[in-house]
Amino acid sequence: MKILKFLIVILVIVIVIIQFIPNDKPEVVLANENDLIYNNQLPEHISVMLKESCYDCHSNETVYPWYSHVAPVSWLVVKDIREGRNELNFSHWESQSKMDKAKNLDKIIDEVTDENMPMPIYTIMHANAKLSDNDRQLLAEWAESYAESLFE
Amino acid sequence: MTLVLGFMFVNFTIKKNAPQEEVKSEATTYHVPDDVQKILDKSCVGCHNSDSKNIKGKGKLKFDELADMKLYKQVGKLADIADVVKEDDMPPKKFLKNYPDREPTAEEKEKLVNWANDMAKQLTPAE
Repeated sequence: MKILKFLIVILVIVIVIIQFIPNDKPEVVLANENDLIYNNQLPEHISVMLKESCYDCHSNETVYPWYSHVAPVSWLVVKDIREGRNELNFSHWESQSKMDKAKNLDKIIDEVTDENMPMPIYTIMHANAKLSDNDRQLLAEWAESYAESLFE
Repeated sequence: MTLVLGFMFVNFTIKKNAPQEEVKSEATTYHVPDDVQKILDKSCVGCHNSDSKNIKGKGKLKFDELADMKLYKQVGKLADIADVVKEDDMPPKKFLKNYPDREPTAEEKEKLVNWANDMAKQLTPAE
């Protein structure tokens, strides 16, 4: 019993200490002149899906939930957002070449169809980010028609 | 170098001003330079072909079907090839551990990346 108490105290101390480890959160920018949704007339259901299921990690418009400020969860959140933005950032969409748009639209189709995205760890805490089979199909169809329109 | 340049000449069955239906129905003709083909054979095609047992690999890309894909997809795949090779995501580390002789050299990687990028650019219509 004494050991258990001791361990809990240690754990609490550790959790308190790790809060002081610097962990720079990627900056939030709400107005982005090269943003995908801002620059294109997307069907409303598509822009809603993109915002709800993708934009937290794949844009500069991240909404940080309360637990994203608490270590060690915050480390994971920051890592995922960094990687997400690095891989694809809808806030910078229009600054890409046509070639990169094609690449990213093709990847979106693959990732969404194969159910790799949105990540399960994300949808656990963001129920409205979950995509149904129908949502996935609609997103893939939109990405495909957009990509084809770039090549007409 | 002259060999590379000689083979880099790419013939397209797709004409720039061809109507859309033609673009969709005709396959792109890829003239792959010998040295690039060698790298592809050594390090990529083993998993990325229709007969591959590697489901994940062939799910992402099958070289034998690339030319028949929609044009945007060909460009997307080519641009992605350049990315994953440049960033050492491909060939997978696990694969290279088992088959170290399949690892492309730095020079081969550069050749492959440049080829894929050039192909992607050539197939992309002007902005």
